[in-house]
Amino acid sequence: MIKGYDLPPGLDGEIDQLEALIRKYRAGEISATELKAHRVPFGVYEQRQADTYMVRIRCAGGFVTPQQLENISVIAQEYGVSHLHLTSRQELQIHYVKLDEIVTVIRCLKAIGLSTRGGGGNTVRNIAAGDDAGIDPQEAFDVSLYVSVLTTRMIAEGDSWNLPRKFKIAFSGSREDKGYATLSDLGFIAKINNGIKGFRVYAAGGLGAKSAEGKLLFDFIQTDEVYPVAEALKNVFFKYGNRRNKHAARLRFLWQNLGEEEFKKKFQQEYDRIKADGFKPLDIIDQGQGLFSCSLPKDRPLDATGFSLWKTRFVKQQKQEGLFSILIPIELGFISCAQAAKLGRFLKVFGSDMLRMTRDQNFLIRNIPWDYLGTVYNFFKEAGLELNQPALYGKILSCAGAATCQLGICLSRQAARALIDELKKSGLDLDKIKDIKINLSGCPNSCGHHPAADLGFSGKALRNGDRLYPAYNLFAGAIIGDGKTKLAEYAGEIPAKALVLLVKDFLKGYISKAGKFTDFREYIQGEGKADLKEIILRYSQAPDFDADKNYYFDWGADKLFSLAQRKAGECSAGFFDLLEMDLKNLKNTQEALGKVAQNDNEKGKLLGGLVFYASRALLITRGLDAKSQEEVYAGFLKHFIETGLIDKSFRDIVVIAQRGESREIIARQPQALELAKAVQALYETMDNSFNFSRLSISMPGGIPPEAGKTTELPVIVKDLRGVACPLNFVKTKIELAKLNAGDTLEIWLDDGAPIENVPGSVKAEGHKITSQKKIANYWSVVISKK
Amino acid sequence: MNFNEEQIERYSRHIILGDVGVGGQQKIMAGKVLIIGVGGLGAPAALYLAAAGVGTIGLVDGDNVELSNLQRQVIHFTPDVGKPKVLSAQEKIASINPDVKVVTYQSRVYSGNIAGIIKDYDFIIDGTDNFAAKFLINDACVLGAKPFSHGGILRFDGQSMTYVPGHACYRCIFGAPPPKGAVPACSQAGILGAVAGMLGTLQATEALKFLIGKGELLINRLLIFNALDMKFRQVEFKRNPNCSICGSNPLIKELVDEELPACDLKKK
Repeated sequence: MIKGYDLPPGLDGEIDQLEALIRKYRAGEISATELKAHRVPFGVYEQRQADTYMVRIRCAGGFVTPQQLENISVIAQEYGVSHLHLTSRQELQIHYVKLDEIVTVIRCLKAIGLSTRGGGGNTVRNIAAGDDAGIDPQEAFDVSLYVSVLTTRMIAEGDSWNLPRKFKIAFSGSREDKGYATLSDLGFIAKINNGIKGFRVYAAGGLGAKSAEGKLLFDFIQTDEVYPVAEALKNVFFKYGNRRNKHAARLRFLWQNLGEEEFKKKFQQEYDRIKADGFKPLDIIDQGQGLFSCSLPKDRPLDATGFSLWKTRFVKQQKQEGLFSILIPIELGFISCAQAAKLGRFLKVFGSDMLRMTRDQNFLIRNIPWDYLGTVYNFFKEAGLELNQPALYGKILSCAGAATCQLGICLSRQAARALIDELKKSGLDLDKIKDIKINLSGCPNSCGHHPAADLGFSGKALRNGDRLYPAYNLFAGAIIGDGKTKLAEYAGEIPAKALVLLVKDFLKGYISKAGKFTDFREYIQGEGKADLKEIILRYSQAPDFDADKNYYFDWGADKLFSLAQRKAGECSAGFFDLLEMDLKNLKNTQEALGKVAQNDNEKGKLLGGLVFYASRALLITRGLDAKSQEEVYAGFLKHFIETGLIDKSFRDIVVIAQRGESREIIARQPQALELAKAVQALYETMDNSFNFSRLSISMPGGIPPEAGKTTELPVIVKDLRGVACPLNFVKTKIELAKLNAGDTLEIWLDDGAPIENVPGSVKAEGHKITSQKKIANYWSVVISKK
Repeated sequence: MNFNEEQIERYSRHIILGDVGVGGQQKIMAGKVLIIGVGGLGAPAALYLAAAGVGTIGLVDGDNVELSNLQRQVIHFTPDVGKPKVLSAQEKIASINPDVKVVTYQSRVYSGNIAGIIKDYDFIIDGTDNFAAKFLINDACVLGAKPFSHGGILRFDGQSMTYVPGHACYRCIFGAPPPKGAVPACSQAGILGAVAGMLGTLQATEALKFLIGKGELLINRLLIFNALDMKFRQVEFKRNPNCSICGSNPLIKELVDEELPACDLKKK
């Protein structure tokens, strides 16, 4: 019998501290950033909707008692929340909590033995485990207790909250690795060696922007070694991990940077030190299963046909004779609080250790005797849980996507929802393929576990002509298992709108051939690969905007797809903030320059600032943390100008800014303005791995920096690309209204309708078009105000 | 005044118009228009002025919404029956365009309050349904030097003129209210609802033209139409030097209330 974990002794004080910080924030004494630094490690994330927060509850190995589930649901309902969310790391989340209610919610959770500490930030995160630990007929032994006791130990240690980046641990009971031990920072796979219990240990794996399989650290350690190994690895990470460059900070980057030999050497030093100091092994005291006594009646199922189909889909024999586990599919991990409360209340009679969250966001209940299956079935039916449908729907996994995640590119959850809807309509016999994993991530980060999928998708943006549309990279054929884990391979790219049809076609093909293969894995490694390629070809092209506008809207979106809404991710708080700050500085400076009437002194300062911010903004994406003006300009020249990411014609203006030649900068104002635009445009093409390559658009040729050329009248440049008719004309008029007669305005317009209409409308109002020329895929139009 | 992104989009069709443009929209947004009577004329006028983004709209009406109003007073909805008209209209305006500030006066206009009400506004729309109020509004606007739009409707007919200080006023044409009983009230004669809409939108158009300072207002001319024939005509007239309020020797020097026609239906 296990109980999840013990609350750390310091928790009360830490909650008090969080409460005080929120109060200070409300009083305006500390900034939002300062609060964030404390809030996120407490498992409290801000949502896209202003002033609402998500609270993530630690559930070691996905364990939660039915009583706790009921209580959590009641607490959530108390604060006006309608649904609970099951995460892919086996936690429960309460969304839409108000800032002023967070501490109360955290205290309520504490009262029922749960903590949110380490739900986010650079901490020891929830320790995961195979959801069938303790009941899997294949397992070496039950790992549940190790998960529970190691959690208790690690969350009581202060340094667990201040790591260079998050630290994820997982346990699996068998070589099938259902806990993803081979895809974690630290993974333990149970193994019996000559009759002695122990673990195979993997390290430095993980899913993320750059996913990696775990590397074998020990072929075998005895169970007593679990703690020193975990502690030593955490220490190595704490000491040597990269705290400056958060996008390359996970343990797998340290392994890569140090090299296997050096990494292992450092690990050994820590390990030896811990052993020399003397350590207390984990107290694993197996109290055995609680005796099952149930007062419920043994009911006959309400409908025999449904019941028997349900059994084949969701009910599985445990390793314990006469006991069964039941999967409760929870589509995309959302369950209403009312249902969750009802479920918890009902399940209580079956004991406290009978419920787990699975890594694909479902519930798995256990220890149900055969005679009670009818009773359970009837309850599920009455509670309105989705039962009579193929298990596949519940297993489709998606991250939150761009709807709530600030890093998201695509609306992955809406895509998953559309996929489920389409499959329900398809008439395909999906019971034949219940084990296939279809995972979606809204961006290249792998929160939706796409690299661990049979069919995985990661969101991105593509361009057709000058229009952006939502798209996915497709990965196929991941293999997970002790000694054989292999990430899914890149198979191609498709428009988001084609995802649903592609999956349907592919599954249809597989179902028709299913008899030929032992399982999907065998199919996808061979014939399936070729089939997939063919289907991708069928769908890889997005039709032109005029032919089908649907492709330019993401699933469930009523606005044209754009990257404009993307923001800093909360979980790597800090890094993006700097970048965003400079982009904001840039924008403010542009606006200040757009206003008329500055004297030369002011103008020189503003333009100097503009070039400085433009040069500094993206340096961080190259891992540079420039500390002086000198380093900023040098870094920008080296990493952006010389590499061609920013057109080489901008070299002169940067050099002039570097020398601080104010008068020269004023003389080249148009070029300075264009540099800022170029940096902004480049940023728009950046993906989450901070690569600019895929979408890299050609930079405008720029205004030739001919030395000694006399200064022309100041030109205000307004970028109206992506602004549709007639708003582009409206905005042109607004800009013109700010100018005096005879002043010049340059606008950038998209090809097509904008360039065909706007100049004519401008002329019709009596202004003069002094120049109109095509630059790359857009137009520059210079207007002289009447 | 700068536009935010939402305003740019909301008012884009105005801004595009050569004669409105950025400056015109800014003037509309800075404008203050008073609508006296939120009935058949005032309702459509208020809707269009709110949609256009007029900065402040004043609403004067002492009545509550009645079921018989709904046939033409399009700013009031069925659930509003029994609610003060100014509140019903205020709610609709807020949901059409939250940019608009609404000031309500839940009262009729009479000699004692009208000068105080109109003094804060740039332009007044007469949406009243009786001659006493129409002459009172005319007199108050002449004395207070405020421009206003007159509107009158009956059955299928409508008429409108715009007063701008220095030009002919309503009394210049009509002198004084007709004898009691000579002209039936709407409640007795009836009115095609859409005719009220035609005239109310004419008045709103006049108000907007006045705010942006473009076009020819209905000054020194009375526009008359009959919707059954769908014929429009205009009668030109001049300022009457003997007008009892705006003439060279005015007889009316302060505001008085003309006798209100007794409304048979209401008295029941």
